[in-house]
Amino acid sequence: MSANGSERRLRAVPADRADATPDAHPGARTDADALADLLVRTGRGDQAAFERVYDALAGTVHGLALRIVRDPQLAEDVAQEALVEVWRAAARYRPEHGSARAWVLTITHRRAVDRVRSEQAHADRLMNHGPRHAVAAAEQLDRPDDVVDAMDAQWRAARVRKGLEALTPLQREALELTYYKGYTNRQLAESLGIPLGTAKARIRDAMIRLRDHWEVAR
Amino acid sequence: MNENVHSLIGAYAVDAVTPDERADFEAHLSACEDCTAELAGLRETAAMLGEADVAAAPAGLRASVLEEIGRTAQLPPLTEDDAAVARDAEGPVPLEAAREARQDRHARTRRGWPRLAVAAAVASVLAVGGLVGSTLMADRDDQLALEKDVMMVTSAPDAKSMDLGLGTAHLVVSERMSTVVAMGDDCPHPKDGMAYQLWLVMDDGSKEAGPTFMPDADGTFMTMVHMDMEGVAAVAVTEEPMGGSTEPTSTEVAVVEL
Repeated sequence: MSANGSERRLRAVPADRADATPDAHPGARTDADALADLLVRTGRGDQAAFERVYDALAGTVHGLALRIVRDPQLAEDVAQEALVEVWRAAARYRPEHGSARAWVLTITHRRAVDRVRSEQAHADRLMNHGPRHAVAAAEQLDRPDDVVDAMDAQWRAARVRKGLEALTPLQREALELTYYKGYTNRQLAESLGIPLGTAKARIRDAMIRLRDHWEVAR
Repeated sequence: MNENVHSLIGAYAVDAVTPDERADFEAHLSACEDCTAELAGLRETAAMLGEADVAAAPAGLRASVLEEIGRTAQLPPLTEDDAAVARDAEGPVPLEAAREARQDRHARTRRGWPRLAVAAAVASVLAVGGLVGSTLMADRDDQLALEKDVMMVTSAPDAKSMDLGLGTAHLVVSERMSTVVAMGDDCPHPKDGMAYQLWLVMDDGSKEAGPTFMPDADGTFMTMVHMDMEGVAAVAVTEEPMGGSTEPTSTEVAVVEL
């Protein structure tokens, strides 16, 4: 899929700073700093700070877990494990090495992927689930407290869609199968019938393209 | 460095690697500044990909998580020196300082880690009155957490590795991290009904009880104990009744003087 017209216009905006990119979110910087601070305090045993981290990220953590493992019960387990791990390891989070959000989602993603792989013997069950988390989405709409968060989430989801659209179809496919389905690079190579080196390079190229598209600070 | 390993950076960033590949890449990462810098950006990018769907967390999850953290001890922070080699808890745990440990890992697959054989004493030995009950690692996540902690210790700048004389087992001691790790393969099994127990022998001859451990069918085991290493003269292993003892009840099967 090629970039559509509106996206081209958006990408033409000069973007020297993260704030100037079309993907920048008002207040995102402040939120990120606040979250990093909360995570640091969590690491010192501050349960109130952890609760605020929970409230800020539990929906994202659960959404990612659900996206990957599909099964609602498994997703809840993965989300719980990941969030408890956030508490357990919080003292090892270093703000200078990355955002709190990325740190939490890295933990979550790895847990989810590990779970998918350990469930591979039951791979067929993954096919047996209907539309993804329609119920959970409905729940979210029922919770007025989440209005602001829902807008933020929609903005982030839109950013993902736009980013994926900026990839070549082959790159997009590579990330769908690895990031969202838990394939290893070798499984990707075999399922697509491509050499291993090509598979690795494709994943990396896709990630670099996304990074540059999103103007992720390096 | 190995171009093959280097090329895994994208796959690593999206967790599209096997445990062995992950270990290889993390070892590479500790020696490759380019990869370290590139990975930071790819990680942020991967996390942004994770925001494709937000699903309100199930109603009971908050209470359940808060209840669980109430009984979950937190890992201590890493010092600057540690941090240089371990970027974050889920991140690279380079093994440069512990090539030996790394080879051990290569000798087995992740599945080969002893699930029921792994004993961990996460609390201080002294804090629980001398006896650290063994924790059977029935839970794979606990096992992975232990494995991660072990790798953190074996990659500590001051980690020292010593032969334990129990199969191919060795001790890794880090004073800085106040930790002793015992791990190895081909460990003979203790007598029926017995388990191995680790002891920290103090300068004055007294002994602090460490965790018990059992090698798995392949003789593979891994255990660790956190304790201030000041005043610890030796580490010993005895066979004790299942569950461990507060004082050694048999002669040691292995002793390593520190």
